[in-house]
Amino acid sequence: MTNLLDDYALSSPLRYQNNWLKLAIVAFGLFAGVSSTSFPPLFFMSFCMAFATVYLGKTPPKLYLKLLLAPLGFAGIGALVLVFFMGSGQELYSFSLLGYPLNIRADGLALALLVLARAVNGMCCLYFLALTTPMIELFAVLKASRLPDSLIELSMLIYRYIFVFLDTALSIKYAQTVRLGYGNFKKSFNSFTMLASTLFIRSWEQGERLFVAMDSRCYYGKMPVFETKRPVKAPEILLTSIYFLITLALVHFKEITTIV
Amino acid sequence: MIILETRGLTYSYPDGTLAVQDLNLKIEKGKKVAFVGKNGSGKSTLFLLLNGTLKPKKGEVLFHAQPFKYSSKALRKIRKSIGIIFQNSEDQIFAPTVYQDVAFGPTNLDLPKEKVQALADRALEQVGLSHLKNKPPHHLSGGQKKRVAIAGVMAMEPEVIILDEPLANLDPVGADEIMDLLNEFNHFGSTLIISTHDVDLAYRWADYVYLMSNSKLIGKGTPEEVFRDMELLKEGNLRQPSTLEIYHEIARRGLARGKTLPKTIPELVNTLKPPELMWAELPPGTQEGDSLNLGVLYGDYAQNSPYEAINGRVLHLYPEGKAIVEISRKGFKAGCILIYDTNHYSHSEVLKVINEGEIDFVGAMGKRSKTLAEADGIYLDVSSGVIDRSLLTALCGKRCLILTGGGMVEHALQRIRDYVEKSGIELNVGTVNRNGKGLCWLEGFEKAVEVNQKISL
Repeated sequence: MTNLLDDYALSSPLRYQNNWLKLAIVAFGLFAGVSSTSFPPLFFMSFCMAFATVYLGKTPPKLYLKLLLAPLGFAGIGALVLVFFMGSGQELYSFSLLGYPLNIRADGLALALLVLARAVNGMCCLYFLALTTPMIELFAVLKASRLPDSLIELSMLIYRYIFVFLDTALSIKYAQTVRLGYGNFKKSFNSFTMLASTLFIRSWEQGERLFVAMDSRCYYGKMPVFETKRPVKAPEILLTSIYFLITLALVHFKEITTIV
Repeated sequence: MIILETRGLTYSYPDGTLAVQDLNLKIEKGKKVAFVGKNGSGKSTLFLLLNGTLKPKKGEVLFHAQPFKYSSKALRKIRKSIGIIFQNSEDQIFAPTVYQDVAFGPTNLDLPKEKVQALADRALEQVGLSHLKNKPPHHLSGGQKKRVAIAGVMAMEPEVIILDEPLANLDPVGADEIMDLLNEFNHFGSTLIISTHDVDLAYRWADYVYLMSNSKLIGKGTPEEVFRDMELLKEGNLRQPSTLEIYHEIARRGLARGKTLPKTIPELVNTLKPPELMWAELPPGTQEGDSLNLGVLYGDYAQNSPYEAINGRVLHLYPEGKAIVEISRKGFKAGCILIYDTNHYSHSEVLKVINEGEIDFVGAMGKRSKTLAEADGIYLDVSSGVIDRSLLTALCGKRCLILTGGGMVEHALQRIRDYVEKSGIELNVGTVNRNGKGLCWLEGFEKAVEVNQKISL
């Protein structure tokens, strides 16, 4: 059995909070992050989101760090490129690599760090959503946002069968491994093709069985949606508004200082 | 009343293989029917024909004496009334959460939202999964998935429930729980049809058995009739149920006798009556074949229960009033089985019954009663196959308490009384807290024992 992000979200205590509130917090974080031009609000938001995910959402800290590190690698490489190739201001440091001159300029460095901070902030916001809101809660949100029914139903079925096929794929892989199917590169290649084609046929058959199963339960185009009333409580509103206000103040404060 | 009937039902797959040939079935309402046959004998195809998923090549299926119509509107009606549960729960559970899956059927029946919710909640409660309603199915165990699948069908309140290999891939206790659940549904009026290759299950559970082999019906009848016929079983690639096999073996060695074939373990135990022969002096005028009352044994002499009546049958007369007599022991007041109705449940009352009634053995039947007992920390000696185990325990002179609710009380009483009638062993049976009478029954029981003691002394 594998542990997916969704499994952590399912066991998170924040799962039982209002979905719209969580979505609003995340959307706010993303917009404020993109429009912020200074570090303080970005750091503040990243910290708040990380705190909420790990402390309130009970995500294992080790896992959280691991999750952050993966995309951080990409963001780091992007920032490195910016450092060397952007900016036109004062030179801070320069050296030549294989006869090619490389300069680090002050505004280039500032831009690179800002992009990095924005990336971290974006990730913290999205992980907050991913680690506290399981897919099954989001279907109700999708439904309420008036997306076409068929799209939602399709996504519900896909969601369900991802796990069925994941199990199937893992057991096929295991069966191949115990018979040394992944001994060297050529064998691995062969085994993997077999796995892929078997999985395709299995999913085709599963589709046919699904049709029969839905038919025998009187399906004619309706899927119930899992909805539970999760009222927003006063402390949550208070906390969220304080968070919003501080962030806005920080963003605004920077604007004032730049104008001055 | 016949609820489901087929006439000359024949079906072949597009490639021409015959899956079902000329089947004539008559399934009565409220019965438990088992289709037994080896793998690939056509049971699954038959089930798809019975709920209108497949259309027969020849012949017809009749529901309430009306032939199936294959328009989509008529089919919806049929499928609402005839629910099918597939062998593999993964095929059946397709919604992202347990609740959504159970609510799927009622939603598609166009019921109002409140009604859908009520039906789904009730079905989940019946199978004991209310606490898992917002879990995704891939977090459930095999037994739980099976119960979700059953709840999904029960939520549509079908008249007939068809289950394809309901116990495949389940552990023994999980399997017993599913069977208990099915018995509960049957008791409340649902007609059940299962397919299985487990002959033991079919033998002890079903009211009526159809034997299938190579897409044909090769035998039908009550379980006793079908499973007695060795030739038939051989033809169907099946073996005899263990209970029956053991019975035949010990009967051949003269260690067991019975008028009817035993189905359950208590019935099997009851056939174990080795004949004992003894010399006896007879009153004048006794004929061969007469029955005699030889008295009552108790204390160390009574083997199975506190008091045993010894009866004898005269086998051979000798001169001077002596004879060879075959004696049989008949325990009476062996033990007792009390039934507690959990619809009027009170924790303190149950504890009082257990203490004052000197109960040695407590069992719970039905999901609701089990949950109640577990929540209140009442230790359950047994939670599956409760009636059988209680009978066996009571036969050893112990006192048993069965916690169960609603209509299941009558069902349990009936089963125990049936046993008493069949075996001739008198057990005390009664409900504890029906009609608000409190514990008066218990007092009555004490009196009955005293009276018996006086008689035997």
